[in-house]
Formats: sequence, structure tokens, C-alpha cells
Amino acid sequence: MNLSGTFTFAGPRQAVWALLHDPTVLAKVLPGTKSLVEAGPDRFQGTMKVSIGPLTAAEFAVTVSLTDQTEPSHFAMQIDGKGGVGFVRGSAVVDLADGPDAGTVMTYSSDVQIGGRIAAVGQRMIESVARMMMKQAFESLNAEVRARVQGGA
Amino acid sequence: MSFGQRVRRNEDARLLTGRAMFVDDVNLPGMLHVAFVRSIVAHGKLNSIDVTAARERPGVVAVYTAGDLGDYCKPGPVLVNPPPVPGHVFHGCTQLPLAKDKVRYVGEPLAMIVAESRYVAEDALADVIVDIDPIDAVNDLEAALAPGAPLVHPHLESNAAAHVVQHKGDYAKARAAAHLVVKRRFLYDRGVAAAMENRAVAVDWDPRAEEMTIWDTTQAPIPIRNGLAKMLGLLESQVRVVAPFVGGGFGPKIMMFYPEELLLPWAAMRIRRPLKWTEDRQENFFATTQERGQVHESEMALSKDGRVLGVRDWFLCDTGAYDPYGLTIPINTQCTLLGPYDIPNYETEFTSVFTNKPIVTPVRGAGRQHGVFVSERLLDLAARELGIDRVEIRKRNLLGPDRFPHNHEIMFQDSAPLVYDSGNYLPTLEQAAEIIGYEKFLRDEQPRLRAQGKRVGVGIACYVEGTGIGPYEGARVTVEPSGTVRVATGVGTQGQGHFTVLAQIVADVLGVGVEDVRVVTGDTREFHWGTGTFASRGAVVAGSACHAAAMSVRGKILDLASSVLGVPVDELKLGGGRVTVAGSNARGIAFGDLAGRANPLRGAVRPGTEPGLESTAYFGPDRGSTASGVHAMIVEVDPETAAVEIKRYLVVHDCGTIINPLLVEGQIHGGVAHGIGNAFYEQLVYDEQAQLMNASFMDYLLPTATDVPPIETAHRETPSPFNVLGLKGVGEAGCIPTGAVFAQAVEDALGPESGVEITEIPMSPNRLFQLIEEGRRS
Repeated sequence: MNLSGTFTFAGPRQAVWALLHDPTVLAKVLPGTKSLVEAGPDRFQGTMKVSIGPLTAAEFAVTVSLTDQTEPSHFAMQIDGKGGVGFVRGSAVVDLADGPDAGTVMTYSSDVQIGGRIAAVGQRMIESVARMMMKQAFESLNAEVRARVQGGA
Repeated sequence: MSFGQRVRRNEDARLLTGRAMFVDDVNLPGMLHVAFVRSIVAHGKLNSIDVTAARERPGVVAVYTAGDLGDYCKPGPVLVNPPPVPGHVFHGCTQLPLAKDKVRYVGEPLAMIVAESRYVAEDALADVIVDIDPIDAVNDLEAALAPGAPLVHPHLESNAAAHVVQHKGDYAKARAAAHLVVKRRFLYDRGVAAAMENRAVAVDWDPRAEEMTIWDTTQAPIPIRNGLAKMLGLLESQVRVVAPFVGGGFGPKIMMFYPEELLLPWAAMRIRRPLKWTEDRQENFFATTQERGQVHESEMALSKDGRVLGVRDWFLCDTGAYDPYGLTIPINTQCTLLGPYDIPNYETEFTSVFTNKPIVTPVRGAGRQHGVFVSERLLDLAARELGIDRVEIRKRNLLGPDRFPHNHEIMFQDSAPLVYDSGNYLPTLEQAAEIIGYEKFLRDEQPRLRAQGKRVGVGIACYVEGTGIGPYEGARVTVEPSGTVRVATGVGTQGQGHFTVLAQIVADVLGVGVEDVRVVTGDTREFHWGTGTFASRGAVVAGSACHAAAMSVRGKILDLASSVLGVPVDELKLGGGRVTVAGSNARGIAFGDLAGRANPLRGAVRPGTEPGLESTAYFGPDRGSTASGVHAMIVEVDPETAAVEIKRYLVVHDCGTIINPLLVEGQIHGGVAHGIGNAFYEQLVYDEQAQLMNASFMDYLLPTATDVPPIETAHRETPSPFNVLGLKGVGEAGCIPTGAVFAQAVEDALGPESGVEITEIPMSPNRLFQLIEEGRRS
């Protein structure tokens, strides 16, 4: 599964960068996140609960490692999620560029492999579920960005 | 006489009222339940399996991994050795009961959990921590053979599991002399058998009696018993395998020695409590064998007048992660491609390929449909190029009735040369064309409906089916003192109607009602010599054995009645369960009385005789008998949505002497439904890492009652000379040419102007839509 796209945040790159690296904020904005902690340098661990079609409230142990980082414009991610209903494994590349109205344009692309029951019965739904979760996450994150920009102003 | 009559089925009362026993109905006191941890990675190095937490879960009785099995963890046997084709290469790789070191397909069993309930067992699955380093999966057949491809079995040089070349005549010479050579690439994809009942195993080990009873959804209870006894270190007589009613077999339930079949008896001897495992539908998509992935590069050389001079076929055959079933499928493909035609020159070569997908073993048709698809499609293409009608080109190439027995010179799956016993193909084709109204349809109907904007088409295709192969089956026929006749045979029954056809054979010989003959199948305590139900052989082979045993009992009845009544044998007749003196119905004796006299409490059994009215007989044909037929269909295609409606479906078939037309039609109907599924609906879709993406009936489409039209049938009878009754099999006939006839009919409906050429099966609504769009653009 390949997911890619762009999203425009209403704040500067530095603020977006900082929020994208803050596990407390990420735990709040990522739908279904039960916990997320920094487990080492540029490494986050946590658990997420996701419903994909017939697989309801499936719990995943998730590890995310950040590599190839150029603050505040570029980083890569390795994602490894395991749970009772299967696995999600993949990588993503994120670029941040200055956007209009002092905003930031994020460009992302990812290549994700799924296996186990989520592939077997969730495949039809997983892409739309992933897109929906990302949209929710980006919008919540954008609200945080706005709050910080306004708070700072 | 019941032979040839539409006798209603003896088994239906039990089946339709819920009184038939299936394996999952077995519930014993103290029974434990089993669930399996399976790999969710298609290919990988298995580092470790941590079952500590699972063992601690309340209600879990035992958890086993490969390391716990000791010597029992051995690769299973190669079940069917390759036929002795000169120069063949075959690498037999069979699986361990539980994977060790490496996983080779999603669904491969890794650990076995035994618990007080299925709920607890399933919950404990999530407690097991499996550490696997993924390796790139082998998915695509051609990529699998490319240099540098990851290896499913690293001790081999490549993913090639087997290579076989067979020749007849000189194809190169025929090609050089040809007026036309048509050449195409054909694809056939994988599906599941989707039996209504999933697999199940229940085991009861009685440590005091030292007896093991295994209820198993198997098509081959006797080989399963023999194999398990050997592996468990028991006498064959200590193991009883019962295949009670089985809700559909279709091939995958045959003597696989599935890991579950091996592990439950082993564990039951250790835990000393009864165990049961029932596969769920999702598991079935991974844990039960599948079939049909093949890629063909084929060509046909023809003369100007449409005579086939020769065929060359080269193909790859997906065997999945292991190949316990040898070469049965690709050899069937090679042999069935020749069909009912006179093809003097034939060159056929295949490579069987290991992939990281579930194991491939025969599924109803078992490679035959691929061969038929290739030859029938090539004939269609040749007919178009040569400007010859589709039925006409077939007529010109059929083997005439004077050509039998016909030796095709290549080797068949039963390790005997491919020899057709008998056949009369032209009248079958003519009858099919007549009933479907082929000429009238093309002349009047099609143009008329086209003028209304309707896209309708007709397809017509021929096939043969090698059936009724050896080695042998047996039967015991007994007249009980009640007068009831009991028949025991070793084949398992999966809904075919054995309780009726075998009863008919015996009833007619003994002169009793069909309903008075009680048939027992699939219980090794009742009968323990035999092989199983496969290759459309039940009625032919077990039926012939039943006939022989009944004839012997008939002789005993007559001899005893002769001495009791003081009348010579030739003055006696059998009927209504009695022996009577010819010309005097009042004077006679009932079978039950005779059975009592044949087993006296005083007096002696005379030398050279046996007690009772009972005989056992066996039948083993030297080679199979070849059934044949023609399918025809009329379809309407909506060129906007690519929806296909089957307007008519006709099967004219010849399975030799017919025991019961009702049952023959039932077999054909089921086969056609299966064939329609293969042709238009069913396809297992794997991603590049060999993860199955549609493992449920939400996404894997089976045809429903509304997709399967009423099926018209006509019977022809060309008896087989290979058995006394003239029988040929019919179990797979319905699904063999369905893809070929479907492709032809849909192409005909869309017309040559559409540019649509169908060279792959399944032709899903989706795929057909793409082809129509591509045709439009070009």
C-alpha cells in the first residue's frame, strides 16, 4: 500500500517540525493512540487501537524510528506495528517546505506492507481507514499548530 | 431393476433432517479443543516462538511447538510418486507438522494450543510471540524462476519443483508443413475449493483398550489410518479412522496428512483426553490446499482445411510451498489437452514451481481444465483465422468411433500410458449443437438481438475426462438374518450419493429393493482395504467391487437355496428379497431365513464353504476409463458494465453406462456451478509479498443461486470395456470445460469488432470491463 499526499499547516516549519517530534502531542492527535513514549533517541514506542472493517478495536504495538533528519525540512520514518490481527510494516518520507501565509506544506509518501488478518479481511478497507486517520491526525495537529502560533503571538 | 432409473437418494432423509453426523458433531466427555498459531508472514526465517504466556493462561492444557515433537517432527510423505516419464525431474519437498527454522507460506502452522474450550484456545493464540525475519516472498511464477530469486527451499538450486517433457510424433515437422500456426499465452489463476464443511479432526485415545478413534473430514480414511498407525507406532488395527458424512471434498480433503491430522492423535496420546479441531472459514483460505495457477505458452499447427497437425504447449504450474501430491495436476493438464481430438503430433513440457503460497493439490478437475482451455481456445482462434465455423473445425478433428482403444502414447497420472477406452464423440457434439440451437442462434437470434442492441453469444466446447483409475477398491456384501443387505466399502463419501448408487448395483444383483441395501463407507472398522475418493472413481472402482461381491453372494444364496429347496440352481430366481422356484411363486425362501441357515448354531460348515451369506471382492482396473462431453452456453454481456448473464447452459455428456441419471445430473450441476465460479467469480488475490488479500466470502466471490442458471443435460452412453458394468466417472465433468466455453461465448457476444480476446481465467467482471475498455481504445 502506498499513501502519499500533501497537507498545509497554518504555521511555520519549525513549529510543525517540533510538534511532529513531540510524543505527547502525537499521542493526542493520532486517532486510537493509547500511549506513545520516547523509547530512545529518535525512537517512539506505543500502542494503538484501530478498527478496520470487520476487525474492531485491534490493538497494535507500534515502534517508529526517525532517520535521515534535516531539521526543519526532511525526515524518514520506519514504522513497525504488530498485533493480534497482523502486522503493519513500512517506511515513509516527509518533507516540509515554506507555504503561503507563513504556513508549511508537508509532502509525504509511504510504502506500507500489511500481513495477517488485516491483509486477509481488512485489505478492502485499510487504505480508506488509513487516509481517514491521517486526515484526522493532520487536522488535529494543525489545530495544535494554530494554538502554538496564536499562543506565541 | 433400478439400473438407469432416477432412484431417489437413500442418504437424503438423514442429510435433510439434520440427522447426518459430521466430524464437528463429535462431542465426548472431557473433550479439549485445539487452535493453531499460524505464520502471518509468507516467507521468513523463524527465529523463535515464545509460548510462555500462552502456557500460563488459565484453561490452557498444553502448547506444542516443533521442538516439543521430537522425532515426530518429520516431513510428511510424498503421496503420489511421479509417473515414470523418461528424463523427468522431481524434487519432493513436504512440510513438517509444525514449522522449524523457516516459514514458507501464510498459514503454515507454528504452534498448537490445547485448551478447555475453543474460546480459551483462540485467546491464547494472541499470547504467543513469534519472531520471524521476513525474506522476500516468491509469488509470481515467472519471477520465481529468474536468476537470483529468493529460494523457497534453499537446498535446491532454483524454485523449480519438477520438469517433465512428453512427446508424441514430431511437432517440429508438423509445424513446418502447417498452413497456419496460432500461438497465444494463457493464464489460469488460483482458487479455493470452498467446501461447505471446512476440515475437522476429532480424536479419542483409549489408553486402556489401546485404541485410537479418529473422526476426520477426509476423502481417504484408509490411507490416513495406515499412515497414522505407522507414524504413531501402533498396529493398523489399533487405529480406526471414520470419515462420517463429509460436507464436500473436491480434492483438498484427500490423504494430505495435514499437520492437524498428524498432531491431534499425537497430542491425544500424551494428554489422554479427547481432542477436537474444526477449521474456521478464514483458516480454510490458508490451511487447506488450493489449485489452478498455471501460465501457458501454446501453439497449434493446422492445415488449410482446419485439421490439427500438432500442438506445442509449454507451461508453468504453481505447486505452492510444498509438493506432496507429486505431478498429478500438470500431468492431467498434459493429458487432457488432447481432448477428443486426433492430434498426431504433440510436444508438451512443464516446470512445476515452488512459491510462498498454500500447498497445491488437486481440486475438482485437477489440471484438466487448463488443458481443455488451451486446446479449445486455440481451436476457436484457428477457426476465426481460417474462416471455418467453430463447431465444424471441431468435427473435422474428432477421433472417430473406430479409433478405440486409442493410445495417445504419453503417460497419464496413474503411471499407465494414456489410452482412451471408448468414445463416440461426433454424435455428442451434434446433439449439443442441436439442443442449444447453434446454427439457428447464429443465423437468426444473434442478428435479431444485436439489432436491438443486445450482445448475445454462444459457446460450445468439447472435453474428455480421465476417470476411474486404480489401484483398486473393495467391498463386502452381507445378507443379515433380518434380510437386510449390508454393503461396506472403503471409499469416503462427500455427498456424491454412494449410499444410493452402490446400493443400486447390489440391489439389482440380489433382487432386493434399493432401500433395503444399507451402505457403509469411510469407516476403517467396517472395511480397511482401499485408497479413497478421487479422480471420479468412486462409482467405477468401488461400484465394480460391489458388483463382484454381490455376484458372489448371489451364488451363495442360490447354492444354499438349491440344497434347502431341493431344486437345481437354474430353476431358481431371485426377487423381492426371496428365492423362489421358477413357475411357483409360493414355493421359496426369504433371504433372512437363508442367512440364518448359513450360520447355524449346530451342525458344521461343510469343507470348501464359508458361514453366512457374505463375500468380499476387489476391483482394480489396469487403467482409467475416459468419459467425454460437450458443454454449450448462451450468454448476454452488458458492454457498459461487463455483467454477464448466462441465458442457457447445456451439458451433453457420456459417462458410459448410467447407474442413476438423477445422480449423474446432480454431479454435473455441482460441477458446472464450480466451473462458473472458476470462470467468472473466484480468484485468490495475493500481494507481491504473497499475502492473501481476499480471505473471506466478503471479498472472494462464489457464484450464488442467482448466478448459476438452470442446467440442461442430455445423456449418452458409450460403455467402458474396462469394467463389467461399463461405467465411467462423472465427478469432475461439470467443471472441466466451463472456462473454455465461457470465454468463447463472451467473445462471441462482444463480437470481433470489440477487439476482446479472452486468454485468461477467471474472467472477472472487473477484468472483462478492462478488456472491453482496452478493446475500445485500440
